[in-house]
Amino acid sequence: MIATFSFLARRLSQGALIVFLAALIVFTLLRVGPGDPARMLAGGLSDQASVDALSEKMGLNDPFLVQFGKYVGGIVLHGDFGQSYIRSESGLSVGGGHGDDQTRSDRADVLSLLGSRLPLSLGLALAGLGLALLVSAPIGIYAGLRAGKWQESLSIMGSSLLVSMPSFWIAGLLVLLISIKLKWLPAVGYEGPRYLILPAIVLAIEMAPIFIRTWSSAISSMTRRDFVRVAPVRGLGQRQIFSRHVLRGAAVPFINTLGVMLTSLIGSLLVIEFVFDFPGLGKLTVEAVLQRDFPLVQAIAIIISAFFVLVNIAVDFVSGLFDPRLDY
Amino acid sequence: MTSDISTAPLAAPKPALPSTRELAMGKRIWLATRSSPWFLLGAGLFGLLLLMALVSVFVFQVDPTKMNFVDKFTPPIFSEGANPAFPLGTDQLGRDMLSRALVGLQITFLIGLAATALSFVIGSAVGLYAGFVGGKIDQLLMRVVDIQMSIPPIILAITILGLARATPALVIAVLVLATWPNYARLTRAGALAERGQEYVRAARVLGASDIRIILLMVAPVALPPMAFAAVFDLARMMIFECVLDFLGIGLQPPTPTLGVIIADGRKYLINAWWIAVLPGVFLMLLLLSLNMMGTALERARNAVFEGAK
Repeated sequence: MIATFSFLARRLSQGALIVFLAALIVFTLLRVGPGDPARMLAGGLSDQASVDALSEKMGLNDPFLVQFGKYVGGIVLHGDFGQSYIRSESGLSVGGGHGDDQTRSDRADVLSLLGSRLPLSLGLALAGLGLALLVSAPIGIYAGLRAGKWQESLSIMGSSLLVSMPSFWIAGLLVLLISIKLKWLPAVGYEGPRYLILPAIVLAIEMAPIFIRTWSSAISSMTRRDFVRVAPVRGLGQRQIFSRHVLRGAAVPFINTLGVMLTSLIGSLLVIEFVFDFPGLGKLTVEAVLQRDFPLVQAIAIIISAFFVLVNIAVDFVSGLFDPRLDY
Repeated sequence: MTSDISTAPLAAPKPALPSTRELAMGKRIWLATRSSPWFLLGAGLFGLLLLMALVSVFVFQVDPTKMNFVDKFTPPIFSEGANPAFPLGTDQLGRDMLSRALVGLQITFLIGLAATALSFVIGSAVGLYAGFVGGKIDQLLMRVVDIQMSIPPIILAITILGLARATPALVIAVLVLATWPNYARLTRAGALAERGQEYVRAARVLGASDIRIILLMVAPVALPPMAFAAVFDLARMMIFECVLDFLGIGLQPPTPTLGVIIADGRKYLINAWWIAVLPGVFLMLLLLSLNMMGTALERARNAVFEGAK
């Protein structure tokens, strides 16, 4: 119990430091790049004086570290990630606050922008991940139990083929076949749960082969372990050996892969949402980058790296529960 | 499903590679890999694609950016209305799809190989050094690795590429920046395991410098097991490069990279499916060949490691 607590405390404080440094790096990168946000906001035809005034008001003339300090302070003290440079708040609910400030009030709050897109991305992620897990577990476990036989070769061949299909290409192919030729499912945008199906399938195609491989190699290496091989001598039935030893041991590599996949899920979502014009966080990210909407990019980068850190801590923690021999 | 458990473990375990115990780790992995049909098939496919990409530079006189409006939207050879002069058809501007796809393949090869080689060298140098030296330097380098790894590659890539115009060198730099920490982490573990070994202490006693020990003794032991990771990474880098081009933040048109061609072709999916689909087949075959070789290497490595126990 105390060990658990100190593990969490240590890893969380390390994680907080890492996220802070990641934020600093992204903040720096965005500041040293070309482009003047004040000029962009004021509009191309504004005179220099009003651009300068806006720049002063936005704090862009402050020293770099002061800007960063204010930004981090806003996040830590008020949960305020700032306002989008580009997007107006029309159609979005914004928490009160900056009503006195004309330059800021008509721009969308970054956090509520993200919040409005999150549910769709989360839905897509869960649907894709769920589908991938559902398909991969039986195939991978079966292939692992048949290690060295044709079933395993078939599963390796199949997963190699699937993993070699880039998601943006397979998405186009599926749209061509299922939406254009067969007219079974809608492909572009989001107007209801039916619009989730194709993107979720593409996401699953990307993830399933990796889960299949993890299961099959973990299971087959567990069945070769001494404690599994001698288990029948101890009078254990096959069911017991499978569930108590093989499956439990294979759970650790599986959880590690799940952690890796959760973090790489973000990149996949970004591409898939872009392809399907799916209005989630991924598409918002691509748009924010192309429009140089720095506050939005920054917030997304910080939140994602926090997510990375948390996933890694959770993976180590849960692995420890499955295999007590692992040291946190 | 469970019926195999008792028979599989009791069957005679496959003998570890016979009489190779004296051989170096790298040689043993290579010997086990070379005989795998997966590896041969993958290497053959990879070689064929590489050859096509290379030969196309000299053989095809068709300019991949040459427009030809008379022949626009020519379908590929196996469909109606095809023109043998354009085996894979033409795009919306009448450009030859085969030569475009092959140039795209060249670019993917170039960027993928360069980025993988660079991140392998940088990452393993840092990892070997950190693991071998240990102490404060190790701590510091590994924290740098941690921070770098906590920034999602795609976010890093789009942040940098959103700021500057993408050139091949910049794309390579972004890929290297996103990947080197993996190698640093993997090699550090290998170097850490070797630093306490007797042969290292003996070399120290004989007065060998750290660099000499790392390069001549530790690297040959610690690096070969990572070859499979590099092969898989090559595939990952190639996909990543295509994704960046596809999203519009990597290399830009009119450079015919596979990502650019596929992004372009998506607009014509209904009338001219081949523009988006066929270049993707090249990409898929390339990735498939790498994944097959990587799988063979990984299995050989696991067999050698498990047999060595």
